[in-house]
Amino acid sequence: MSRRWLRWLPAAVVPAVIGAAVVAAPLQAVSIGPLPEKTPAEVLAMAANHQVRALTGTVEQDSDLGLPQLPPGAPTSGPGATTLLELLGSSHTARVYADGPTKVRVQILDQLAERDLVRNGSEVWLYSSRDNTATHVTGLDTFKPYGIRGGMKHDPGTHPMPTPEDIAKRLLAAADPGTSVDLGPEVRLAERSAYQLVLTPKTVNTLVASVAVYVDGETGMPLGTEVRARGQQEPAFRVAFTELSLVAPDASIFQFTPPEGATVKEIGLANDLPASTDPTLPAPGLPAPGAPAPAVPAPEPVPDPGPLPDPSQIPAPGPVPDPSHIPDPSHERPKVTGSGWEAVVEVPAVAIQRVLDSTPLLAQAAVAVPGGRLLSTSLLNVLITDDGRAFAGAVPLERLQAVAAAP
Amino acid sequence: MLVALAGIPVLIALAVRLTSRVPSGRGPAFLDRIAENGLFAAVTGLLVSIPLFLPLTVGVVAGDTIAGEAGLGTLKYLLAAPAGRVRLLLAKYVGAAVFCLSAVLAVALSGMAIGALLFPVRPVTLLSGDTVSVGEAMVRVLLIAGYITVSLLGMAAVGLFLSTLTDVPVGAMAATIVVAIVSQVLDNLPQLEWLHPWLLSHYWLGFADLLRQPPSFDNFASNAWLQLGYIAVFGALAYGRFTTKDVLS
Repeated sequence: MSRRWLRWLPAAVVPAVIGAAVVAAPLQAVSIGPLPEKTPAEVLAMAANHQVRALTGTVEQDSDLGLPQLPPGAPTSGPGATTLLELLGSSHTARVYADGPTKVRVQILDQLAERDLVRNGSEVWLYSSRDNTATHVTGLDTFKPYGIRGGMKHDPGTHPMPTPEDIAKRLLAAADPGTSVDLGPEVRLAERSAYQLVLTPKTVNTLVASVAVYVDGETGMPLGTEVRARGQQEPAFRVAFTELSLVAPDASIFQFTPPEGATVKEIGLANDLPASTDPTLPAPGLPAPGAPAPAVPAPEPVPDPGPLPDPSQIPAPGPVPDPSHIPDPSHERPKVTGSGWEAVVEVPAVAIQRVLDSTPLLAQAAVAVPGGRLLSTSLLNVLITDDGRAFAGAVPLERLQAVAAAP
Repeated sequence: MLVALAGIPVLIALAVRLTSRVPSGRGPAFLDRIAENGLFAAVTGLLVSIPLFLPLTVGVVAGDTIAGEAGLGTLKYLLAAPAGRVRLLLAKYVGAAVFCLSAVLAVALSGMAIGALLFPVRPVTLLSGDTVSVGEAMVRVLLIAGYITVSLLGMAAVGLFLSTLTDVPVGAMAATIVVAIVSQVLDNLPQLEWLHPWLLSHYWLGFADLLRQPPSFDNFASNAWLQLGYIAVFGALAYGRFTTKDVLS
């Protein structure tokens, strides 16, 4: 009888070994010497002055913005806000290659598809394998308004996933007196030890609970960012390297010729500014440089994940004011009330309305609140008032209503 | 069964050939590429076969290994030979693994053949938008075939174990196929995200990474480890069951 039981032994041992290996693997990774002690200011300086120019890596983005999950097969290459929503609102993996600021390639790895952004010198190619379209942006070197990375902002439909470095830079820029900056425990990212800078807003008048920036202990390069929202267990937004090597990728990676049969769209920046450069449009992805608001991803919507309201019961889109009474939005700067984390931006309602019209999902997500309709996410609230104004900010609804009510 | 599998890409290619242009973005991925490039018939054929047809045939073969012999009453004669039960189990598993490989190759090769026959074969556009030569593209298709073969090995091990449990081969086949389908269903439930990396079918569609430039082998490696785990666990279970079983038929 005991011989019989012996034969079942492998069946018990194998899962045990696998389980042990799975548990032991992460433990092994931690056992590496701690980083030298530094003050938050030193880490900040390190991040600001890092000299990394060439890298090959994989970036992972996780979002939990309180948005409904888009079905996996949803259009991911379509125009406008839907794509933006998909990019920021769900999880992605991207491979990033860079060799200096003018040679960059970002590949967003979708299931059975891929979106590419290739920058080589003054040329930028955007390619989507799903519909086999390529967009060619030229004249980047003569186009200044947004600096080097500005070129990427012009086509929201193919806006790339922001790199961790991008985001971290903007966040650090936003660290003002209203923010306390501390060092959290060290973290391991992409097999590297990193300092954890934790920015905590001092005010309670914001949706952001804390922002962590991971700064590589060796080079000072920001390796990732995590934004936590108040009252939410999971990070609302997290983007970080999972793999990173600081070697220059092969030059051929930056050579892109559109494949045969692809639809090619040409955009020359120098003389032909596309309409989406309109600065009053909710900035795709991140606030425009210099915007006082904490860098919180995007014009995102939606109430608690309860069932979406029946479309027929959704209040008709708020009264859209007669266009003739609205000053041309492109000539008016957005009005900002408050500063730092509490900042509320008044955006022309037409811009919001345009986004809503192009994205029925967003329109459905707006809920009626006293004084207007509210698009709510864990990090951003947008209030569209009944008189046709729109207020956005990483602040609670009450503050939006207060700002809207103020003369 | 191999003929039926080989028929899948033929059917797809004929359908694309006989209809007018396939609008891009409709139907299975890559479908619209076939008309431009025959090699995509193989990729599309593999893509279409993965969720159902390949698991179906592998389930039939793996579920039949031991239970089939028992059902026919031949198992006791096999065991009467001095080869030993462990060796029989191993031989049966190798047989199932060989079937996995031939099944995938049947789809891939017939796909390339019919694609070359009906459509132009030219340098292939990868998902990244880069273009590679026909030779390299064929290497990649074979790599994909290898990836999918590896993906099926874990399932074959599950089938082998289930096959030792019963004397009714149909039961073992059905159970194996159900395992594959349940695994795919679970993989689509976002609420079970923690479970996903452990599911048999989690990396089945990851072969697309071999169509990127540069190709990514991360999924290949994760998939291989996962399948190895399944083979180890269910191989050990099958060993435990089969060597302690009273063989009556």
